[in-house]
Amino acid sequence: MSNSVAPASSGTPSSGVPPSCMPVALNMRLTGNEEQEVTLTGTLRPFVADEMASVRASLEQAARSARGTLCVNLKRLKYMNNVAFLELNRFVRWVAHARPDLRIKFVLSSVIPWAIRKFQVIAELYPAVTIEVYDKALYPTQPVLEDDEFITVLRMQEKLIWNHEQELLTQHGLRPGLRVADICCGLGCFDIFIQRDFRPEYLVGVDHSRPLLRYARQVVSDYGLENIEYQYGDAAALLLADNSFDFVACRLSLQIFHQPEKILHELVRICRPGGRIYITNEMLSCVVGYPNEELIQPGYKSFLQVSRQGGVDLDMGPKGRFLLQGAGLEDIKISQINISNTNSDPNELARVVELWIRVAWQFGAAAGADPSLHADVEKGLRAHMETILSDRGYAVWPIIAASGRKPFRTS
Amino acid sequence: MEAEFASSRYRMIMAARFTVGGFAREWGHCHLLANYLARYVSANEGDPERHATLLSTFINELLEVIYRNHAADGQIELIFRKRARHVILQITLPVTEQNRVFYRMAVQIVNQPDLKSWYRARLEDPADGEDTMLGLLELAAVYTCTLTISEPPGQDRLSLFLELPEVDDMGEV
Repeated sequence: MSNSVAPASSGTPSSGVPPSCMPVALNMRLTGNEEQEVTLTGTLRPFVADEMASVRASLEQAARSARGTLCVNLKRLKYMNNVAFLELNRFVRWVAHARPDLRIKFVLSSVIPWAIRKFQVIAELYPAVTIEVYDKALYPTQPVLEDDEFITVLRMQEKLIWNHEQELLTQHGLRPGLRVADICCGLGCFDIFIQRDFRPEYLVGVDHSRPLLRYARQVVSDYGLENIEYQYGDAAALLLADNSFDFVACRLSLQIFHQPEKILHELVRICRPGGRIYITNEMLSCVVGYPNEELIQPGYKSFLQVSRQGGVDLDMGPKGRFLLQGAGLEDIKISQINISNTNSDPNELARVVELWIRVAWQFGAAAGADPSLHADVEKGLRAHMETILSDRGYAVWPIIAASGRKPFRTS
Repeated sequence: MEAEFASSRYRMIMAARFTVGGFAREWGHCHLLANYLARYVSANEGDPERHATLLSTFINELLEVIYRNHAADGQIELIFRKRARHVILQITLPVTEQNRVFYRMAVQIVNQPDLKSWYRARLEDPADGEDTMLGLLELAAVYTCTLTISEPPGQDRLSLFLELPEVDDMGEV
């Protein structure tokens, strides 16, 4: 096992050579057959290939000791010029001769718009080279969330939540004039509300769904709204700068990723010291209603079971405090958002619950869950809808909001 | 070419002019200028960050080629225009006869029928030393940019026109 980290190269030119532009960080991790990886992040725009000598040496060192497949992770390499690309190409040629048994996998992100086409050429040239667009695997539930019906109901859900969340946001540190990032912004409804009610200095929404972002941009354009920027991005590998936002939101999203800590790490990274990270997650184990209580809770229990089989935790809400403390945040604040059929439009709430029946089915199908589980889900959630729409019934959908402050000094 | 760009189908976005001497003083100017200009030109795009990242890649390759191939004195002028969803970059620069031959050859290679095979062959069997033309050719071979040249008679300047693809085309292979 070897583990080395090379500091960012500032490109120290020799006499007569123009200063380079290579603020690149190189990280090498060779810890077994499945995790042999060299990661390059930042910018690689050298003047001549010689400036890549240390990068090339590290790659060759890794290739000499690797077995099976060596991953060259470029998912956060934002810029690379042709000089650097040709040097990586020479490295691949060297591997083909020196280690013909070794496979090279370039790990790319669809967020970096130049990367896939560029490396596809190398993959076509060398049989031992493959490319992996890693973020496709990171968002397995995404197709479920992109159809027209889902978008319609999601808008309704956003409005239902905002009516209760708006007041809470002040308690969690949001105020006018801040730099705000909304990670996993979806349809961008939250951003429009924020822009209207909190007038941030700068507001960016990031999401990995092109259909949802298209919708968000269309709304902004149709209503002539300004000062909202939407970016196609990967929440687990954001291109936003370190320490650059006062308030970082990630709503109802950590719960649908099987590796939420990766996203949380990015939320903390882009938040400035003293700024706050705000997350919301559902607490479906505590959905209650009367009458039909004997059907509602078992239905949601089955829903949670199906979701967990698909890597989704729709009961993450109560874990918010634990997650934020684990991420090194301080001054943790927790609030509960109770959306009920008496404080919200019952027809809209019932419609949202109806959509979940379909979402549960799709999660279950994707995860290969037992179809009988879905029958339990449908029975319970239909009972919940009936309670919501009943004049004498009371039904609640609980969401937990949590926020924490990024400390000025980390231990 | 100039007359065509004056038509209403092309919308002017921005122009920048700087001296060769100042530009060529530091390699890092290519990177800084590329990022600055790309961000400015992308300001009104639906996803400015993504548009600027790709645009910077293209502008930087062009500037790096210019950095290595220009006359000692004079001015470099960049004009960004837009037609439908395509950005067209015009760069005018002072050249020596040797530079002129270089750019003519680049445009000739770019416009050959099987550019992609030619480009792949160069990657398979890379020449020793630096191949300073390959970055420019990659823009056409990999990203389907088009490259044309305009040489006003009797002047020691020429213009290159780089028409860029739509950013939305770049995400998937």
